[in-house]
Amino acid sequence: MTEAEVYEKVVGILGKYSKNKDALENISMETSIIEDLKINSARLVDIVLDFEDEFDIEVDDDDADRVATVGDGVKLILTKI
Amino acid sequence: MELKFREKFSLKIQRLIGWATFPFWGTFLIALMRVVGGYKVQQMREIRKHFKELKRNADGPILVCSNHLTKIDSIILNWSLASIWAYMRSFKIFSWNLPKRSNFYQNYVLRLMCYLGSCVPIDRGGSREAVKKSLDKVTYLLSKGHTVTVFPEGGRSRTGRIDLDKSTYGVGRLVNKVKGCHVLCVYLRSHKQENYSEIPRRGSRFYLDMELIQPKSPHSGLRATRDIANQILEQLVLMEQAYFATAR
Repeated sequence: MTEAEVYEKVVGILGKYSKNKDALENISMETSIIEDLKINSARLVDIVLDFEDEFDIEVDDDDADRVATVGDGVKLILTKI
Repeated sequence: MELKFREKFSLKIQRLIGWATFPFWGTFLIALMRVVGGYKVQQMREIRKHFKELKRNADGPILVCSNHLTKIDSIILNWSLASIWAYMRSFKIFSWNLPKRSNFYQNYVLRLMCYLGSCVPIDRGGSREAVKKSLDKVTYLLSKGHTVTVFPEGGRSRTGRIDLDKSTYGVGRLVNKVKGCHVLCVYLRSHKQENYSEIPRRGSRFYLDMELIQPKSPHSGLRATRDIANQILEQLVLMEQAYFATAR
């Protein structure tokens, strides 16, 4: 799976949780999930669990803690698949 | 999770100083709440007796998880659960807290009270390393059999009800990390409390309900964290419903 494909799927997942639809339209690898997309830390756990289901990977607590931006999520998935 | 020797030692010293000075500041705080605040806890004797029994029957550390409506909830909780003498005999039941640093650490008096009152400040929304360090400290304390209080809603509820939207899953991680950890779910509310506030209104009478649970999950990792946090929050929601159905 290419980075672009992973990115597309990640954006799709984030879209379900984001409260800031404007930020979602201008999303990039640098977009902060908590600050820009207004997603709280509990929902961030839900998102990482969605990554696990979507990409059939397993993410541990420490790796999940490192996901702050869209790019962090994409890179994490690419290292696991 | 491993803390440095210096960090463990400083927690031990903090606890020792807190215990040694507890009769003074504990009495002062209780007098302040009773006289200035006019606060009362309904059925305090029964609550303390019940807590003592729960503590005796629990074969592991206790994490107290409460709803959160005012900045002094943890003080009222500690006041409600045991007497000064019970705490002097076994200070391990006096709960450690994780107050938001920006709320309590701006002036020296509050900072001193927090130090004596077994607080481990947390920078909510701060760097992940700093938050992790605070959580590591309370994980260590729990694993050593200390009692710790956290607010799973992650802050004072703006709606006045258990706020599931703002809830955090950190509590699930704590329980998951500490073997045999029990969770004491507590619902605390003054009859005058409509919404969240800095402190309870003068003349408040507090209702307190508690339920000891041992949440478990068939999963591991993040899924277990979420499962456990949800079980705790669901219990708190049930207790809140019971409050509004009967106590008001």
